[in-house]
Amino acid sequence: MATDQDQHTEPGTDLPVGTTVASAAVAAAVVLPLLWLVRTGLTVGFDEAVALLTRPTTVQVFVNSAALVAAVTGLSVLLGVPLAYLTVRTDVPFPRLCTVAVSLPLVIPSYIGAFAFVSAFGPNGALKRLLAPLGVETLPEIYGFPGAVLVLTLYTYPYVYITARASLLSFDTTLVDAARTLRHSRWETFRRVEVPQIRPAVAAGALLVALYTLSDFGTPAIMRFDAFTRVIYVEFNAFGRETATLLSLQLVAVTFLILGLESLVRGDERGGAGGRSRDTVRLGRWRYPALALPAAVAALALVVPLGILLTWFGQGASDVGRSLAFRPEYVLNSVGVSAAAALAATVAALPVAYLAARHRTPLTAVFERVTYVGYAVPGVVLGLALVFFGTQYATPVYQTIYLLVFAYVIRFLPQAVGSMRASFLRVDPSLPEAARTLGSSPPTAFRRVTLPLIAPGLFGGAALVFLTTMKELPATLLLRPSGFKTLVVHIWSAYASGYFGHAAVPALILLGVSALSMLVIISQEGYNVK
Amino acid sequence: MSDDDATPAGRSRRRFLAAAGVAGIAGLAGCNAFGDGDGTQRSDGGDQGGGTETAGGSDGGSAGQIGSGRSPFGDRQVSGGVSMTEMPDLSGELTLYSGRGEALVGELIAFIEDLYPDLTVRPRYNSAADLVNQLLTEGDASPADVFFSVNAGSLGALADEGLTRELPSEVLEMVPDAFHDPDGQWVGTSGRARTIPYNTNAYAESEIPDDIMAFPETEAFADDVGWAPTYSSFQAFVTAMRVLEGEEATRQWLTGMQDLGVSEYSDEFLVSQAVADGEVSVGFANHYYIQRVLAGRPNAPIATAFTSGDAGAIFNVAGAAALDTAEDPDLAANFVRHLLSAEAQDYFARTTFEYPLVPGVDPIGRLPPIDELNPPEELDLTQLSDLEGTISLMRDVGVL
Repeated sequence: MATDQDQHTEPGTDLPVGTTVASAAVAAAVVLPLLWLVRTGLTVGFDEAVALLTRPTTVQVFVNSAALVAAVTGLSVLLGVPLAYLTVRTDVPFPRLCTVAVSLPLVIPSYIGAFAFVSAFGPNGALKRLLAPLGVETLPEIYGFPGAVLVLTLYTYPYVYITARASLLSFDTTLVDAARTLRHSRWETFRRVEVPQIRPAVAAGALLVALYTLSDFGTPAIMRFDAFTRVIYVEFNAFGRETATLLSLQLVAVTFLILGLESLVRGDERGGAGGRSRDTVRLGRWRYPALALPAAVAALALVVPLGILLTWFGQGASDVGRSLAFRPEYVLNSVGVSAAAALAATVAALPVAYLAARHRTPLTAVFERVTYVGYAVPGVVLGLALVFFGTQYATPVYQTIYLLVFAYVIRFLPQAVGSMRASFLRVDPSLPEAARTLGSSPPTAFRRVTLPLIAPGLFGGAALVFLTTMKELPATLLLRPSGFKTLVVHIWSAYASGYFGHAAVPALILLGVSALSMLVIISQEGYNVK
Repeated sequence: MSDDDATPAGRSRRRFLAAAGVAGIAGLAGCNAFGDGDGTQRSDGGDQGGGTETAGGSDGGSAGQIGSGRSPFGDRQVSGGVSMTEMPDLSGELTLYSGRGEALVGELIAFIEDLYPDLTVRPRYNSAADLVNQLLTEGDASPADVFFSVNAGSLGALADEGLTRELPSEVLEMVPDAFHDPDGQWVGTSGRARTIPYNTNAYAESEIPDDIMAFPETEAFADDVGWAPTYSSFQAFVTAMRVLEGEEATRQWLTGMQDLGVSEYSDEFLVSQAVADGEVSVGFANHYYIQRVLAGRPNAPIATAFTSGDAGAIFNVAGAAALDTAEDPDLAANFVRHLLSAEAQDYFARTTFEYPLVPGVDPIGRLPPIDELNPPEELDLTQLSDLEGTISLMRDVGVL
């Protein structure tokens, strides 16, 4: 039986003091280093700033980015939700294999994906060389807006897929049964019952997609699309830090806009457990043809980069002495620092997510929204902000692992917060209340009742932070201790010097280790509470 | 209701498969790291070239060659210049911020560290622009001692902000005056000339104009030219044109080239390869890209043409600077001095086909000696740091 849990805090009810202070501390820690952005951006004189922001090219590029974000988010939702529905609610064959295959594109850094697509489909690409004997002279242009949209969609739709899938898995299907007994067709049921229920989860996933697209440097640069980040990149390359940070502030403003939009779309969230029935959509003769969709998506997203990497691997690594030789310690460095970031992010996200789920007031909502700022700021900007912070205020930890992990936490905290918040929402508050009536103190009730129930969200969020930290490059390059090499840094230095053969093996290892964490994510999502 | 994701059997099976996959790939990695591949396919990259490195022999009063003496254009021994053995010893800890890649600099640092057991070098590799931004943000609290970069623009940017320290005159005098900062804030370590790669099947050298401003009017090159406008050296070339010929003339040149019909590539190694392939007959590239093409394909129909005394013939330098924040200024200055040693200069020539700047060390490949080049004399290389103006002009014209 479905219970309608009203999660709002009554006006006048006190927020738990300890948790609120912890939450505020986390929010402050995440935002403080970014004050450098404001400080540096505002050193640009007012007239110059206005001139810069209203320049036709800036406006044009802003419109480009807006179009890119809208297109990628829209396509990701259009791709992720049907795939989630297909693998969760229908009787498509090999559902587990489909789930894994469809989620895997998230492990591939989008700049590797972009480069692979250009290598494969570009004017001098592998596909052209393959088709040339057949007389195919020109291929559709891979550069520009269509190419950028394609690559970004392929490597970010799993965010929507994962959240939509989690929501569908814990969906109260007795509601569907009720609608069906009232003679609604499948489509009507979907539209009127299921969509409103999964809308918050899809909105959360779409938010991650939108903010990622907004702040991604590599893909627009490689696909030669004039997005906002490319302008910031060019400014940084011309040593114009002030103008670059001013433009980044514009990005932050857009982030707040997108966050506001998501709040609107998210609507009224309903938490709580529900019943389950054995309802699955029977596909009938569409069972096997339906496999074509996940197969095609996974093939395009995975086969192209893997193929290119294997080609480089096959070409062999030239002997360049000790400088570029791969060392196993790079794997340990990557895994170690990512695990530390995942742990720190999980701990930091706990109070924020708890308050955002359980005690929804404007204050707690601000704490939760503010964590997204670090996610939307481009990595290089965040890196420089922490360089400033490190050299001015925190010199002992500058260029050490600690500041690096802190940077990762700032960057990827919202992923942990979002995952845990969804988990908290699914826990029936009457359960810890029951523990309280039986004599447990609040911390004990939390530890013995709530914590095991939110464990899946905890692990899912941690695994997601682990995964994205493994892929992170720009902030790592700026903040790592000299001589500390992770997998992505090694891939970058091999790639930047043109020694592609040396980039192949670490890239394949990166994908392998990331795939492991991906398996943790999808096995933990959608834990069902009866 | 399907809940089989959560069954112990399903989970452990998946984990086993995943672990097996990772173990397999790790095993492959182990094999490949020690293996010896052949043939590299490098299609871009800042400044790396071929060359195999193993311990080399020594030669009289020198410290030996870095790597073997072999190069695709024929073996050679170190000759000319001042050897490292004749330079002051290095000891202590040095933090190096290098905009030049690890594949190139790592070898050199390893050689120097082997020579001086008391020396530890802590290198930090990143793109020159990122490092400059990092240094500017770090300010006085920077741990860096020496900055090594691939173009004079970034060195000039640091000097303008007062972050560099004047080098001793003995170091500056090791290279001709044109190749170090007039105020002694940085010194060039190797050079790159702007050139016109051309396809020898299509043109003879005499048919290539020696005035860069004449290119948009050369009808023969219509739809037959390649360039790489996002590449930093090309942008430096356009900056030079702005300085020498003025903003308006540069604008007209860019528009003229676009009207003529020019193909865009993402970097100049690709431009040179396209010229060798015959895709275009003429291009704009740094001199060493042509040598790299020839190193891979000795019979490729590509040769080097130079313009004379204008922006198309600029000679840009990679260089190093001792930083104001250096803990031991003498160590920093002497490290920079070692970059001008005979061994280091020979190493740059062999590994990246660049022009050594120290008189007496010859370049490698089919190149004229440095004194036969005609770079524009009135150009100060640090003026090439004004990239912002160039970028906005190129954007305005629609090239970028």
